[in-house]
Amino acid sequence: MPQRFEIDYFVKMKFGDLARMRHIITFSLSPFEQKIFPNFFSEILPNTWRRFRGSFFRIAPPTALGYMVYSWGTNNHKESKRKKPEDYANDE
Amino acid sequence: MTSIRKSHLTLKALNESMIDLPAPKNISAWWNFGSLLSLCLALQILTGLFLAMHYTSDISTAFSSVVHICRDVNYGWLIRSIHANGASFFFICIYLHIGRGLYYGSYLNKEAWSAGVILLLLVMMTAFVGYVLPWGQMSFWGATVITNLLSAIPYVGENIVQWLWGGFSVDSATLTRFFAFHFLFPFGIIAMTLVHLLFLHEKGSSNPVGINSNADKIYFHPYFIYKDLIGFAWFALFLITLVLFIPNLLGDPENFTPANPLVTPPHIKPEWYFLFAYAILRSIPNKLGGVFALLASILILLIVPILHTSKWQNFAFRPLAQIFMGLLVVDVAILTWIGGMPVEPPFIIIGQIASFLYFFLFLVFFPLSGWLENKMLES
Repeated sequence: MPQRFEIDYFVKMKFGDLARMRHIITFSLSPFEQKIFPNFFSEILPNTWRRFRGSFFRIAPPTALGYMVYSWGTNNHKESKRKKPEDYANDE
Repeated sequence: MTSIRKSHLTLKALNESMIDLPAPKNISAWWNFGSLLSLCLALQILTGLFLAMHYTSDISTAFSSVVHICRDVNYGWLIRSIHANGASFFFICIYLHIGRGLYYGSYLNKEAWSAGVILLLLVMMTAFVGYVLPWGQMSFWGATVITNLLSAIPYVGENIVQWLWGGFSVDSATLTRFFAFHFLFPFGIIAMTLVHLLFLHEKGSSNPVGINSNADKIYFHPYFIYKDLIGFAWFALFLITLVLFIPNLLGDPENFTPANPLVTPPHIKPEWYFLFAYAILRSIPNKLGGVFALLASILILLIVPILHTSKWQNFAFRPLAQIFMGLLVVDVAILTWIGGMPVEPPFIIIGQIASFLYFFLFLVFFPLSGWLENKMLES
């Protein structure tokens, strides 16, 4: 009788063998029986501001700094290529 | 009766990696770049294959064979444009993929991360030799500048360079072997991609929250198959816009001139995706030092897992690390800008400071921020 063997490619990651879960009960409402944007002004807008605050003030300062360096560098290089007006001040 | 996709030897591998693979429910758009890179690779191989049917790698006919492809071959202009711009998109996806890896601590899967760094090196080598093939001015002079760097190696440098060239300068022998390398390396990339995926699937994908997601996973198919398809659609939209409307945006006009060893272009520079490394290379006044810095700028990624000090996996709850990540992104953008500028003041000092900051961020700022945030957590 030829021997059959199985190859398990990813032994550790299979459904049914991921985590032990007990006593998990979830309840939910049908999307057809709830408001689309509930509490827009009392919850949604403040939460949007909270999320904006959490990321903008960490990304904007380095970006602003980078832009200032780029702007200064470009202008400084352009100036260095120009003739100095004071060298020709007394020309006729 | 077990389904054939679960019992057949080869289909089983496909099933366990793309269909029944448990995936975290909450992975965001930042997790699309892996599949996008596979799409990029497939696209480059397909378009490259069709280009190779018409391209000739001898110096007397290389440039005109590319002209022939663009003018005479049916849809040759389209295939060539997709291949050239596809390379840029490959690097856009790779850098965003690495950025995701840094921000979300994916490097903690050290094997997958190391395989990824090797993939980055392979892709860079492929792109470098590929750019030489049209045999324009920038192709020739870029190859001359970068291959000459190897002569900085003590004692054996000159011999290595001449061995690589197949002669005493970049010439026909160099072009023919670069064409061979450009054809060969993608197969190494395919093999390394499979290794990268093998290591990834051992532990599974991470997720934006950074906690163990084993209790809340969903099947890869259909959810992430469709999400990846949407990513492909966006990718296709951006690529085709570039290809059809502004195909030369990311290219160098110098490469429309056939290579001339007797005429040096005023500003020799690589394509945009190598400019940050080019800036780091030029920031050190010593040739060998510059070569070391160039290599270190990529290989530093290999030691990032060792430098992880934080108790959290990702930066989501680490404000200091987030600021430093923003600084790293801006620093690489500055380095990219500087790499395209001539070596004149004030670009020299800006490049040197930005290069120093690049290494300082990885070696000092990120580990320090992790240590500080751990202290803040304790108090």
